[in-house]
Amino acid sequence: MTLAAADPGLVTAESEPEVRPRRRGYASYVGLKVLGSIGSLFFMLVVNFFLFRVLPGDPAHTLGRGRLSTEAQVEAFNKTYGLQQPVWQQFLTFLHNTFTGQLGISVQYRLPVSQLIADRMVPTILLVGTSTILATVIGVYLGIRGAWGRGSRFDKVTTGTSLTLYAMPEWWLGLLLIAALGVGFWIFPGVFPTGGLHSPDVDPNSLKGVLDTTWHLVLPVTTLTLAYLADYSLIMRSSLLDELGEDYLQTARAKGLRDIQVRNRHAVRNALLPTTTIVALNIGFVVSGAITVETVFSIPGLGLLATDAIQVPDFWVLQGTFLVASAGVIFANLIANLLYGLLDPRVRT
Amino acid sequence: MTTTATDKPRQLSASQLARRRRMAAWKRTWGQFRRHRSGMLGLVILVFFVAVALLAPLIASSSGLDVTKANGPVLAPPSSDYVLGTDENGRSVLTLLIWGARVSLFVGLLATLISMVIGTLVGLISGYFGGWVGRITFRLTEWFLTIPFLPLAIVMSTVLGRGLFNIVIVIGVTSWPGTALLIRSQTLSIRERAYVERAQAIGAGRWHQLGRHVLPNVMPMVFANTTLTVAIAILTETTLSFLGLGDPTRVSWGTMLNGAYEAGAITTGCWWYVVPPGVCVVLVVLAFTLIGQALEEVLNPRLRARR
Amino acid sequence: MATFGLVLASLLPALAVGGPAQAKNKVVFKVAMLGEGVDSLNPFLGIQAPSYEMWGLTYDYLTGYSMTDMSPTPSLATKWTTSPDGKTWTFTVRKGVTWSDGKPLTAADVAYTYNRVLHGTVEQSSWISYLNGVTKITAPDATTLVMKLKKPSATLPLLPIPIVPQHVWKNVSESEIKSYAAGPANGQPPVGSGPFRLVSGTADGSTFKFEANPDYWGGRPHIDEVIFQFYKNDDSAIQAMEKGEVDFVEGITALEVKNLQGKAGITAHNGNSPGFDEIAFNTGSIDTKTGKPIGNPNPAVLDPKFRHALGYALNLPQLITKVYQGGGLPGTTIIPPAYKKYHWEPPSNEAFHFDPAKAGALLDAAGYKMGSDGLRTMPNGQPIGTLRLAARSDSQESLNTMDYFKSWLSDLGIKAEVSTYSSSQLTDVILKGNFDAFQWGWYVEPDPDSMLSYMTCGQRGNWSDSWFCNKQYDALYNQQHVQTDQAKREAEVKQMQQILYQQSPYLVTAYSSIGEAVRSDKFACFVPQPNPGGVWLEQYGVYNYLHIKPASEAQNCDSATAGGQLSGAVSATQGDSSSSVGMPVMIGGGVVVLLALVGGGFVLLRRRATVGDRE
Repeated sequence: MTLAAADPGLVTAESEPEVRPRRRGYASYVGLKVLGSIGSLFFMLVVNFFLFRVLPGDPAHTLGRGRLSTEAQVEAFNKTYGLQQPVWQQFLTFLHNTFTGQLGISVQYRLPVSQLIADRMVPTILLVGTSTILATVIGVYLGIRGAWGRGSRFDKVTTGTSLTLYAMPEWWLGLLLIAALGVGFWIFPGVFPTGGLHSPDVDPNSLKGVLDTTWHLVLPVTTLTLAYLADYSLIMRSSLLDELGEDYLQTARAKGLRDIQVRNRHAVRNALLPTTTIVALNIGFVVSGAITVETVFSIPGLGLLATDAIQVPDFWVLQGTFLVASAGVIFANLIANLLYGLLDPRVRT
Repeated sequence: MTTTATDKPRQLSASQLARRRRMAAWKRTWGQFRRHRSGMLGLVILVFFVAVALLAPLIASSSGLDVTKANGPVLAPPSSDYVLGTDENGRSVLTLLIWGARVSLFVGLLATLISMVIGTLVGLISGYFGGWVGRITFRLTEWFLTIPFLPLAIVMSTVLGRGLFNIVIVIGVTSWPGTALLIRSQTLSIRERAYVERAQAIGAGRWHQLGRHVLPNVMPMVFANTTLTVAIAILTETTLSFLGLGDPTRVSWGTMLNGAYEAGAITTGCWWYVVPPGVCVVLVVLAFTLIGQALEEVLNPRLRARR
Repeated sequence: MATFGLVLASLLPALAVGGPAQAKNKVVFKVAMLGEGVDSLNPFLGIQAPSYEMWGLTYDYLTGYSMTDMSPTPSLATKWTTSPDGKTWTFTVRKGVTWSDGKPLTAADVAYTYNRVLHGTVEQSSWISYLNGVTKITAPDATTLVMKLKKPSATLPLLPIPIVPQHVWKNVSESEIKSYAAGPANGQPPVGSGPFRLVSGTADGSTFKFEANPDYWGGRPHIDEVIFQFYKNDDSAIQAMEKGEVDFVEGITALEVKNLQGKAGITAHNGNSPGFDEIAFNTGSIDTKTGKPIGNPNPAVLDPKFRHALGYALNLPQLITKVYQGGGLPGTTIIPPAYKKYHWEPPSNEAFHFDPAKAGALLDAAGYKMGSDGLRTMPNGQPIGTLRLAARSDSQESLNTMDYFKSWLSDLGIKAEVSTYSSSQLTDVILKGNFDAFQWGWYVEPDPDSMLSYMTCGQRGNWSDSWFCNKQYDALYNQQHVQTDQAKREAEVKQMQQILYQQSPYLVTAYSSIGEAVRSDKFACFVPQPNPGGVWLEQYGVYNYLHIKPASEAQNCDSATAGGQLSGAVSATQGDSSSSVGMPVMIGGGVVVLLALVGGGFVLLRRRATVGDRE
C-alpha cells in the first residue's frame, strides 16, 4: 500500500470547509482502515473455523462409513485430517496453515483445496465479473438519465423496472430466462443452452471453445446483470438526486452553466462516489447471486463447490470457499473505504 | 436529519405532552403517506396478500395441501377445475399459493422482528454509549456485515436443521447488522440534541434517557427500516427454500418453486407452476419496498426531493 | 429491455457460431450425468458411483458380470479353478493384453494390484473386503494367478478391483497415493488396459473425455469417443438432449421420462435397478458395548406383531402411482426380483396387500385395541402416543411416502407425526435410536450376502439401521455364508427373507427404477441389465460402451448374449464355493459409498440416500 499520495491537500473538497479542523491525514486514515480490515479478517477466521465445526455429521462417518469399518481405521482417518486433536489445537493448526496458504485436502475429492478453489474460481469470476461490469455501466447510465429527467416517462419506467427487478429472486429470473430462451416458449425459440459452461464435445481452449463458452454464459450473465443493475441504477439515481438538491449546484446553475455541464462536472462526479462504494460493498450480494445462479445454470464455480461441500460436510472446502468469499468482501470494503477517503476527505474524521 | 418531534421541549411534566406530540406526529406522517402514490400502491398490494393469508382457511380448504388426498391430474395446465393448474402431486397450485402466502409472510414478519430487536439494541448501545462498549458493538456490527450473508444463512440452516422456526432464526440472526448501523447513526445525532443534554443535566440515568428520549425518536426510522427488512427476509426465505433448505413439510412460495424445479417444470413448460409463486414473491417484496421507501421519505424530509 | 439488447449485441459473434457442431467423422457418444460427480480418478480413493464408471472404462477386471443376472463371467481371467478344499484359487490370465503405453499386461500386474490392496493402508479402504480371508497372492508365470486362503471364501470369483499397471504404480509411494490424481498428465491418458482411455478430465471437473482403445482385447468399441458431461439439474441435461448436445441422460425422474417418451428421436424408459425403498422401524436400539437400551423407541414398534400388521395398511400400488409417478414396482423383500436365484416371493396367503380391515384385526388380536377416543392403545391399556416418522428432507419421495404412511396409520387409529432430516442428520438420529420409523433405501449388490448381513445382530450400531436382531436369522446367515451347495444356499437365503418378512423390521415399499433416455435417432443396440427390464448405462461391467452402434447400423447389433460372446469360451468351476462380494455405495445427500466388512464375508452395496438423485 503506497502512502505517498496521502496529501489531503490534493483532494479538493467542494463543500463544508468547516470540517477541516478535525480532519486526519490520509496516511493515518489508511492505517486505521487497514488495521480494521485485519481485525475483520481475524474475526472471519475465528467464525470460519468454529462455524463449520458445529455442522451436523462427522466426515469419518459420512464419507468413511463402511470404508472405515474398524475403530482403528476411524482413528487413522481422523489422524490424517487432524480431527483427533483438541479443538484449540486444531484451531492453531488451522491458523498456521491458513497463513501459509495450505487450505487442506478435500475429503470429498482428495485434491488440495487451494487447487479446487483455483479451478472453480475462473467460471465464477467470468460470470460475476462480466455481470458486475455490465450492471455498473448500464445501471449508472440509467440512474443518471432517470435522475436528470426526474418524473419523465423514462424515469418512471426505469425506476419501476428497477424496483421490480430488485424485488425478484435472481434465480427465478434465471428460471424464466431458461424457460423462455433456453427451452423455448410461446414465440421465443429455445436458442440458448440451458446450463453448463461449454458443450461436451468442444475443446474449451480453442477459439470455437471460447465462443461456445461465451454462448453458454449469455443467459446467466444476463440474469445476474439484471439483478445487480436494479440496485445500482436506484442508488445512482437517488444519490444524484441528493446532489442535485445541494446548494452549490444551485449556485452553479445561477452562474449560468448549462445543464449538461452542471451534470457532468459536479453532480455526477459526486454522486458516483456513493455508487462505487456500494458496488464494492455489494460483494456479499454478488456472492449470493453467484451461488444461486451457478446452481440454476449448472456452472461449476465456487458457489456450486461450496453448496456441494455442505452435504458431506467437507470442512476444508467449506472453510476455503468461505474464506475466499469473506476475504473478498473485506478487501473490497477496504478498497471502497480508501477510495472514499481519497475522494471525499469529509469521511476521514 | 431532523425528526418531527423536536419542537420546543418544555419542562418535565412533559411525559403526557410528549406522548400527545408523538400521536400528532404519527397522524401527520399518515397524512403525508396517504398522498404518496407508490407507497399507497404498496399498501394496497400488501393488504390484499395479508387478507389472503388470514382468510386462507375460508378461501381454500387445507386438505388441498395433503398429498395423500390430492386426486388431481399430475402437472395439469389451468382448467375450470384447477384455475392455476396442478403440481406434481396433483394438488391445486392456487390452493398452494394461498396457503404459501401464510408461511412466506409469517417467516418474513417474525424474522424481521428478531432482526429489528437485535439490530435496534446493538445500534442503540453502540450509538449511545461511547467508550469501549460502543466501540466493541460497532466493530461487531461491522464484522457481521462483512460475513457473506447467503453462505452464512446456508450453513446456519444446515446446522439447525429443517423447520419453520429455524428458518426464522437463521434470517433474523443474519440480517440485523444493517439495521444496527442505521439506528446507531440516528442515535448519535439524537444524543447531541438539546433535550437529551438537559435531561443529563437534571440527572436522569442513562438507561432512563435511552428509553425516554432516544428510543422514541429512533422508532420512526426503525419502523421504516422494518418494512425494507421484511422484503429482504421474504426473499431470503424463498431462496433458502429453493435451495432445499426450507421446511419441506410446509408449503411456502419458496418450497413451491423448489418443487417445480425438482419436478422439471421448466423443461416441461409447466409455466403455471413456476410463474405464479414467483410473481407473488415479487409483488409482496415490491409492496414492502414501496412502503418502506415512502415511509423513509415521509419521515426524512431531506429525501423528499427524490420523488 | 435495453440491457438485454446490449448483452446480446456484445455476444453477437457467438450467435454466428450457434450451437456446437457435430464432429464430422468420429462417432462420439455424449452422456449427461446427474447427481454427484466423480470424486477421484484414482481407483484406490474414489467412492462415488460415477467414479466406478470412469475406472470401468479405463481399467480391466479379473471377472465380469453377466447381462441377465449379474453372475460372474470371464474377463481378464479366462478361467478359474478351485482346489478341493476350497483354499486355493487358480486364475488363468488372458494372453496378449497390453497397457495403453504398449507394455504387456501379465498376471504379475494383477498380483501387484491385489497385493497392494492386501498390504496397503489407503488402498485397503475400498477393496480389502473382496480379498477377505486371502493370505497370499502370487503370479508363478505370466498367465497364472494363485490365491491362497485361510478358509473357503465366499467372495470369489467376483473380484471387481480395477487392475492397475505395476510399472506405473510402483512409483507411487504409500504417502503419495493419498492425493495421487491418476488422471491424464502431460497430454497422456492414465495407463490402463480398458476399452477406453481418459484423455481429459479432473476429479472435481464436469467433463470427462474418453477415446476408444483400438487394441482392446475384447474388440475395438464401435464408438470412437465417450464424453461424460455432469449436470447439476435435470432440466439442463434434458434440454441438452432435446437439442442434440448429448445422446444419453441418466438418472432422470419418472415424470421426465413420461414427458420425453413422446419426443421424436428419443427413447426413454424407467430401467429396473436392483434397489429398494423401505419404511424401517426401530426394533430395539441398544448400546452395543453394554447391551442396555438407548434412544426412545415407542414400545409399539418394538413388537413384531405390531409392525407386521402395518404391512397390510400400506397401499403400495397407490404409492407407486402417486409418489413414484409410476417409476418402480411395489416391493416385497430385501432381495430384489432382479436376482432371480435369491429373491423370495411371498406366497399369496402370506403376502401383504392393502387391507385396512385385516390390519385392524391383526392389531386387535395383538392387543392393540381401539380405545374410546378412537385411538388404539397398548396391550396394557396405555395410550400408544404419537409415532415419530422420519423422512429425508432431500427426497420428495421420502417425505410423501411418510405422509401417506401417516394417513394410513391415522385410519387405523394410530397417531403419527412426520419430521424431516438431512441424510447425515438422520444417520445420527438412527445411531442414537431416537426414532420410531424412517424411510430410506438400499442398492443391493449381485451377491445377497452383504444386504443380508445388515440385518444381523452384529451389525447393530454399525450398518444395521433397524437395530434388528434375531438368533434364527443370524444362524441362517452364518450357514449360507459358508454354504458350498448353491441350491441349499438359495433356500437358506430365501428362508432368511421370510423371517424378515414376518418380523417386519423393514416394510419394503418399492423396487426402484432409474430413468434413462437416449437419442435413439443416433445410437442403437443398448442391452438392458438385468435383461430384460434393467438399466442401459450404469451397469455392472461395460457391455454397452463396447457394443452400442450408430443408429444407421442398428440392424446388425452384436448378439445380446453377454459374456458368452467374449472370446475364450470358458467353463469355470464356479458355484461350489459360493460367497458374497460387495461394495457399498451410499449416495446420500450427495455423497456416500459404504463398504461393509461383515463377519467373514464382504459385500458391496449402494445405499441410495437421495432417491431423487437416482430415479
